[in-house]
Amino acid sequence: MTSLLQARRLSKTAYSALWSLPLPVWLAGFFLGPMVLLIWLSFWDVKNFLLTPDFQLENWQKILTAGYFWSAYARTAVIAASASVLATLAALPCALAISFFLSPRARMVLLGLFVVPFFTSYLVRIYSWQIYLTENGIVMKLMAAIGIETGSLLNTPLALMVGLVTLTLPLVIVIQAISLLSLDRTLIDAAYNLGCGPRRVLFATVLPAARPGIVLGALFAFIFSFGDFVTATYLGGGKFTTLSILIADTVKSGQQWPRAAVVALMMIVTLLLTALASITYAYRRS
Amino acid sequence: MRVSRTTRRLTLAFTGLALAFLYAPILTNFVFSLNSDRFPTIPLGGFTLEWYRLILADALVIDAFKNTVKIALIVAPIATAMGFAAAYADYRFNFIGKRLVLVFALMPPLIPLVVIGLAMLAYLSRIGLSGTLPAIVVSHIVLTSPFAMAIIRLRFSQIDGDLEFAAQNLGASNWRAFWEIIIPSTKTSVLAAFLLCMAVSFDEYAVTWFVGGLEETSSVRILSFLQSAVSPRINAIGSITFATSISLILGAQFLVLRRLTKDAK
Amino acid sequence: MSQAHISLKNLRKTYGAAVAVENLDLDIEEGKFIAIMGPSGCGKSTMLRMLAGLEESSSGDILHQGRRINDLPIWEREMPMVWQSLALFPFLTVRENVEFGLRMNGVGAAERKHRAQVWLKKLGLGEYADRGINQLSGGQRQRVALARCLVTEPSVLLLDEPLSALDAHLSVQMQGELKRLQRELGITFIYVTHSHSEAFSMADTVVIMNKGRIEQAGSPEDIYLRPATPFVAEFLGGSSIFDCTIRPRKNGELVLESADGTFKTDALKTAGLAPGQHVSLVVRADQISITPAAGWADNEVPCRVIGEEFVGALVNLRLETGAGTQITVQLQQRDMQTLDIEVGVGVTASWHPEDGHIITE
Repeated sequence: MTSLLQARRLSKTAYSALWSLPLPVWLAGFFLGPMVLLIWLSFWDVKNFLLTPDFQLENWQKILTAGYFWSAYARTAVIAASASVLATLAALPCALAISFFLSPRARMVLLGLFVVPFFTSYLVRIYSWQIYLTENGIVMKLMAAIGIETGSLLNTPLALMVGLVTLTLPLVIVIQAISLLSLDRTLIDAAYNLGCGPRRVLFATVLPAARPGIVLGALFAFIFSFGDFVTATYLGGGKFTTLSILIADTVKSGQQWPRAAVVALMMIVTLLLTALASITYAYRRS
Repeated sequence: MRVSRTTRRLTLAFTGLALAFLYAPILTNFVFSLNSDRFPTIPLGGFTLEWYRLILADALVIDAFKNTVKIALIVAPIATAMGFAAAYADYRFNFIGKRLVLVFALMPPLIPLVVIGLAMLAYLSRIGLSGTLPAIVVSHIVLTSPFAMAIIRLRFSQIDGDLEFAAQNLGASNWRAFWEIIIPSTKTSVLAAFLLCMAVSFDEYAVTWFVGGLEETSSVRILSFLQSAVSPRINAIGSITFATSISLILGAQFLVLRRLTKDAK
Repeated sequence: MSQAHISLKNLRKTYGAAVAVENLDLDIEEGKFIAIMGPSGCGKSTMLRMLAGLEESSSGDILHQGRRINDLPIWEREMPMVWQSLALFPFLTVRENVEFGLRMNGVGAAERKHRAQVWLKKLGLGEYADRGINQLSGGQRQRVALARCLVTEPSVLLLDEPLSALDAHLSVQMQGELKRLQRELGITFIYVTHSHSEAFSMADTVVIMNKGRIEQAGSPEDIYLRPATPFVAEFLGGSSIFDCTIRPRKNGELVLESADGTFKTDALKTAGLAPGQHVSLVVRADQISITPAAGWADNEVPCRVIGEEFVGALVNLRLETGAGTQITVQLQQRDMQTLDIEVGVGVTASWHPEDGHIITE
């Protein structure tokens, strides 16, 4: 009788383990494992172009005292922050329109339309922007047609912003729209009832209540822009060396992986701290 | 929200602009893939299929496409299955540290691709996998399974938690109840997740470029083309890529939306 | 003594340090309608879920016809349940829902269809067999949930607050139907509810639970007339409860001394009680009368009217004594006018010594 009971308990445990374990185990093996190795790697040595497991602080010293690292760090942060602000501001009217001015059916269709670009080749879309912005490209020709002479717009901050907003706008709009849609509509009616005008309702009721979504959207835009290397490479023309370009170049051109690992870890720490700060701010009671 | 007609029209117009901004690069890419001029700009030249002919004659491109399809067809079922398992486990069981596991499972898409790429490259070369198709498959599963989990978990949140137990209460064993209740309730979202995983795998370029070595997918092929010069051949590959991923995403959306409207009835 | 259909022996369920069900003992006779009620969190649902196998018991036994079933998995318990959420399968038709249990037990297609049809007809769902669940009204879904269980011809049916989603009118109608079904089928119904009217209108035995324990189990009449504990009296409502001490009079008569005065009672009721003992005196609302002035009856308590609630032709008056005890009185509407009662006025409440029920602690 007890053995039967034990057998049943065992099959119950096996059933739940079968479902609970695969993804965590896979991620432990092929995501957590690489991440932990990355930390260890940052202390390794390179001898005669060969990686040698070691425990030395030289990589950290080299990178953290290098002027080029800190200038790339500052540049990456400023670019990502600008893109995040820009995407947030551009997304707000769209998210408001989607959440408040459309029928449920039109809303689903529009949200669907905004989701599609997020999952289509970012590389090719950036290449298309190259065609638009390059010397004698579409934008230059169009401007010339209305009498404005411009040079190539590639390799300018504007080009960077175009690329990064292309990357992040869909995501920010969707996150903002979800948070606006989950707002309690009676809150808005109550504000009108109390005699607030549309502007006051927007700024004193809707936006503060949707703060978690707005902050979260901005955070995602920051994270994605901070890690991107495609826009900086192909629309910035390598003029704007970001941390990602630093890593890509280091890895693709030699064996200095440990130094790249230090840069990568600095990126992760920055993103974690930003995420922590934003989430605290987003859900803080005010 | 009650606002003036002008405000309403202005925001809707702005939304239209945002859509135009997002779709402009996609549309021009199709246009220039069929344009005869070597340098893509306006005014347009004549119509041609030359660029498609060129890339289809390019062995590197063909191999890259073959790899892409092969990888997506292996990655999507595995990532969907694991995403499904995690979503079902979250819906059905309670265990210590569940939230932590969930957050952890949703992390990979949030880590910069170059960072994952570097970490994967170092790790996979330690275990002798880097530079192989399995290396790409392994990393793609890490990158796509969170999407599968999220989309399937969303579906689970709409399913009455008593249903499976009601089936057991009427005599169905664990597995039988799973087969009778969970499969029919989630099959469309599983298919949607499958398509989404294929699309993400299809378009992944960064980690693939890091761990793939000499093995190329179509996205990595585009990356190498980009490093040389502007050429309408990129537009031609790009159009094929766009057409594929847009079909996959629209398919996934159709499945999810149909589910929603069906439930609303 | 005949063997009970279902017995709970020393049944206990804990979650970590929290006790959900505490050493429960209960015998349920075959073919009875048992209602289990109590405030939320009293353990009534946990008990039902342990019966169905949805929760594992921490200790103790569940016996079904003398056989211990604690270790049987859900699907071998043969105790179909009507769920609070109904838990109908939304992707199956009405008929497929009803056939489900038969299909799981390997009944052939033809017989399944026949038996499902019989039950659908019996519950007035014959013409809805091929509809989807979402095309049915609340009452119809309720019937599908019942048919889905009853078609398997169980000896026990578990019901977990099945009527809570229905509106009052429909709920009363379903109560009548449930009772009729249970009588006709002669099977055991175990019905968990928080509604007094559902429990008292249908059940042969009402079990009142509180904090994981059974406070009282008995016929509805028994519980209504003779609540076993102050909790039961209070939970049922409509009664006034006085904390009293037994005191002897010079003539040997025992009286009840409370903060609101000294009350006389039947010698029968005080038999076996000793002077100095603490008891609760429970007087039902319909046993108390109101007089404008004192000096008319035996047990009189001066009070102030603090609230009134109109229920059809009846009025429930809430009174408060000088000592702060709350008293409920049920009056006819017209008495209100004759007595000229309104909130705030002082009145005298009284009852006969033979009324009132004594609970020893």
